[in-house]
This record gives sequence, C-alpha cells and structure tokens, in this order.
Amino acid sequence: MEEIFRLEKVSYRYHGLIPALEEVSLSLQKGERLAVIGANGSGKSTLLQVMSGLISPSEGTVWFRDREVTEKTLRDKTFLRFFRERVGYVFQDPDVQNFCPTVLDELTYGPLQLGLSEGEALDRAVEIMRMLLIENLKDRPSYMLSGGEKKRVAIGSVLTMNPEVLFLDEPMNGLDPRTQVFLLELILALSEAGKTIVLASHDLSLVSELETRVAVLSEEHRVEKVGPARNLLGDEELLLRVNLIHEHIHPHGDTIHSHRHSHFLFHRH
Amino acid sequence: MRDMRDKIPSFLLETAPAVSEQQTGTLKESFIDKGLMQVGEVIRTAYLQWEFASRTGFFQRTDPRIKILFLVVFAVIISLKREVYAELLIALFLFMSVAVSRLNLISFYKRVFLFSFFFGFLIALPSSLNLITKGDIVIPLVHLSQPHRFWIYQIPAEIGITREGLLGVCLLSLRVMNSLSLALLVLFTTPLPEIIKALKVLRVPDVFLVILSLSYKYIFIFAKTLEDIHLAKKSRLVGKVKSTEGRQWIAGRMAFIFRKTQRRCEEVFKAMVARGFSQEIRLHQFRKLTLHDHLVGWGLLGFAVLFLAL
Repeated sequence: MEEIFRLEKVSYRYHGLIPALEEVSLSLQKGERLAVIGANGSGKSTLLQVMSGLISPSEGTVWFRDREVTEKTLRDKTFLRFFRERVGYVFQDPDVQNFCPTVLDELTYGPLQLGLSEGEALDRAVEIMRMLLIENLKDRPSYMLSGGEKKRVAIGSVLTMNPEVLFLDEPMNGLDPRTQVFLLELILALSEAGKTIVLASHDLSLVSELETRVAVLSEEHRVEKVGPARNLLGDEELLLRVNLIHEHIHPHGDTIHSHRHSHFLFHRH
Repeated sequence: MRDMRDKIPSFLLETAPAVSEQQTGTLKESFIDKGLMQVGEVIRTAYLQWEFASRTGFFQRTDPRIKILFLVVFAVIISLKREVYAELLIALFLFMSVAVSRLNLISFYKRVFLFSFFFGFLIALPSSLNLITKGDIVIPLVHLSQPHRFWIYQIPAEIGITREGLLGVCLLSLRVMNSLSLALLVLFTTPLPEIIKALKVLRVPDVFLVILSLSYKYIFIFAKTLEDIHLAKKSRLVGKVKSTEGRQWIAGRMAFIFRKTQRRCEEVFKAMVARGFSQEIRLHQFRKLTLHDHLVGWGLLGFAVLFLAL
C-alpha cells in the first residue's frame, strides 16, 4: 500500500499553553478508512486539523506524500495547491464552513479556486447536488437550511474539489437517523471509489459499521493503540481506560445492578 | 448502498495529476492567518490571566471585594500625592505586593514600564522645558540671540530643561507606573468573573454585572467560532485571496456572526426563563470574610493611611 500521511512525534499545545496532542506518531495509507476515536477533549479534532495543515504542530513533523507540511511549505504556491486539491476537510459545525451567499456558490467555490472554468465548476456542482439530493436547495442561502441540509452542503462543497483524502470531524453529530444512514452510505461509497477517509468520532457503532482502522486517543492526548476496528472495539479494558465506555447502574425489577455500558458493545442488535 | 455507488459522479473517480498546475512563488502571511493569530491572542491572554489569578499567592487568597476597595482607595492616593518620594514609596510597596503574590516580576514590569514610558514619560517630557514649566534650567539645550514673542507665547533666549519640569515629569511617570502596577496586580491576582462580581461592593447594579459577566463569557464562545470560520476558509484556499473577495468574505462572516449572536441571545434568555428568571436579578451572596481577609483588609487600610499622611 502507498503511504500518504506520516506523523512523527507530533505534539500540539493550544496558544502554546494547553496540551491537545502528545507525541502522536501515525501513518495513513492510500484508500484506507481511519477513525480517530477518543473521549471529549482527547485531541481528535486537533489531530485532524494538524494533518490537514490547518494548524501547525508545536513539535514533531507531518509528511504528506514525502513532503513536509509546515506553515512555511504551505506558503509555497506550488505546494499549497498540490496539498489543498488533494486534502479536504469537513468541519463538525457546517455553519462555519458554508460561507458563500447560496448553495450553488458554495459548491462552485472550491473548483473555481482550483482554476477550473465556470462551466466545469457548474457541472461538478450539479452532479454533487444530484448525488446529495440537494438540487432543490441550489439558490438558497445556507442560513435557510436545516441541520442535515447544511451538512450535505458542507460535504458537497469539499467533494466538488475532488480531494484524494477526506477528513470528517464528528460527521454524524446532531443529525437525524435518516441523514446519518445517508451519510454512512455516502462515506462507504466514496471509500469504494478510492477516496482515503479519516474521521474523528466517539460513536463506536459508526466506526464498527465503517470497519475502519482505528487510532484510539487517550485523555492524556496520546495514541493509546492503533488497529482494526473489530479487534479494538472488543477490547473492553482499553475502551474503559480511554473513557469510551463506562460503568452503568440500573434497576432490573427489584434489584439494582451495575455493568460496563456501551451502546455499541452491549446493546447491539 | 448500491444506489449511492451508482450516483458517484465520474469526476470523483478521477485522480489528481501527479504534479499540480504550476503556480510559482511564495505567499505572504494571509489575512486569514493574521485573523487566527489575533483570535488566539485573545484566548491566550485570558487563559494566562486566569492561570496567574489561580496561583496560591498572598493576594490571590484575598477576597476580591477587599482587592476592589484596595484598587479604588490606592488609585485615589496615587493621584493625590504630590511628592516624588511618596510615589517612590508606593512603588516599592506595590513591588513587594507583586513579589509576595508570586507573579512573574520580569513580565509584569515589562508591561508596566512599556506603558508608563509611552503614556507617562514621553507625553510629559515636553513639559520639562522652560517653555512650559518655568524654573531653574539644569540642562540648557538651545541658545537664541534674543528672546522672541510669538502670539501669546514668550520664547526665552535660553531654552532648557528645568528642575521643576523634571520633577513634574518624574511625578507624572511615577503616577502612571503606580496606577498601572496597581491595576495589573489586582487583575493578575483575581479571576475576571470574580472581579466583575466584586464590583457589587461599589454599588454597581446587578443587572449591569450580569450583562458584563455574560458578555465576557461569550467572547470566548465566539472567539472559538471565529477561529473555526478562519480555519474553514483556510482549508479551501489554494492561492492568494483578492482584496475584494477578502472584503466580501469578511462582510458575509460578520453578518453570520451577527445572526448567530442574535440567536444565541434568544436561547440564553429562554434558558434563564426556564430556570426561574423573572426580570429580577438575584446574584448569590459572597462567602464570609476569613481571618486572612480581615488581616489583609486592615493591613492595607493601615498602609493607605500611612501613605496619605506622608
């Protein structure tokens, strides 16, 4: 397999003060699905943002296709274009991502940035709208959309750039079950189409459905373990240690008992 | 699933060319990066303030009400004193207070000296000339052949710095320095929410305190939103941003923040109503003053009287 990303002992401190990542080393292969899981505040989103060159690590190095990703290299126009046309990032909150006047503007923004002609950009936008079932929203401003629609537009705005690697930060957050299923199928279809998918989530059932490779982040902001989902999601001790499952107390008739609880591990049908 | 696979547009199956279309040159730091740095600085400053204020130093342990009264009383004393030696003694007292509060002396006085140099010394410097302050010239600067009269001004034949002028500059610079040290001492030893609450001792209305404390809190929520907005823009930028486009983007995002603020404001109000808010604000009472607070309070009052008597 071809290595796309490599992280070597990457640490990140917010504003130079608050630790968010500690000596994270990781590699990402072309076409694979990787899920970064961990409790709230473990550094999942930070890791994705460091990998996609949005923030620079305080220590350590990030490599994309054997080229170092730093603030300096991203100022080089050739490398910036090489990197940004291959790496797409979908934010957790679609509101921050949708910044154009209408949905159509949003979808054509990326391709026009890449230097595609207006016609080509429009073709891409139409195809993506058809795939994401948002053709009827074409002329609407983003603040007139529902949560699920905003998410589809945010994903569409990145897909029109046809990135090779797609970073998705908590993709299912706040979405209704139907949109969640739609998104799950979309991620699988994109993966089958050859896209490399990296997602941050604490939703263990999503990770299981996607059968990803998993990187578990601890509350100390370190990579605790990396491996296939089917192995790691069965490791109860590990999940308990990183606060992804918990002790649960509840009554059964007259008796109250406690057990380890996760909606993925024990309530699965 | 089958449906979705069939719907994937053909362009998504294409791979990017091994080498991108050439765009040579280096980009300058964009307004996006500058914006990110500014937002980061807001959070960083607040975090540092909170961290200093949470240390276990002498002043940090003192009740914020005592510190607010100390700030007001000493600010009045500093502006009342007319003798350089009295200001020097107050400066020494404040220096010792900063030291026992375990604040970083170097970074603390770096700020104090920088601001007092610009807003105290430099502003007052021209007044040391005999053109403004009459007196004995100690440093002669310019000799003219004869005195001149210009409109209502009398320009003497010898222009220089006077003793009285120098004393005035020293006094003003020391006052600025002491006032700054005093304000920063209270600011760096008290978390800002506590300061806002302690303003109650100065009879500031509760409604004003609630608005102040909510505004302070939401600065950080919106700083985070702003940071994300900038990162989202950065993630889709592949070159230089034209200034027109930049301006349009900023205007659009300002409108977005405005809408979001408005929505947030409505939600906060509903949350307040849901927890029993009925147009009347009731802030919870302060904790009882401890022996430490009483000792510090009386001690500071003693120093205040002493400095007034000097």
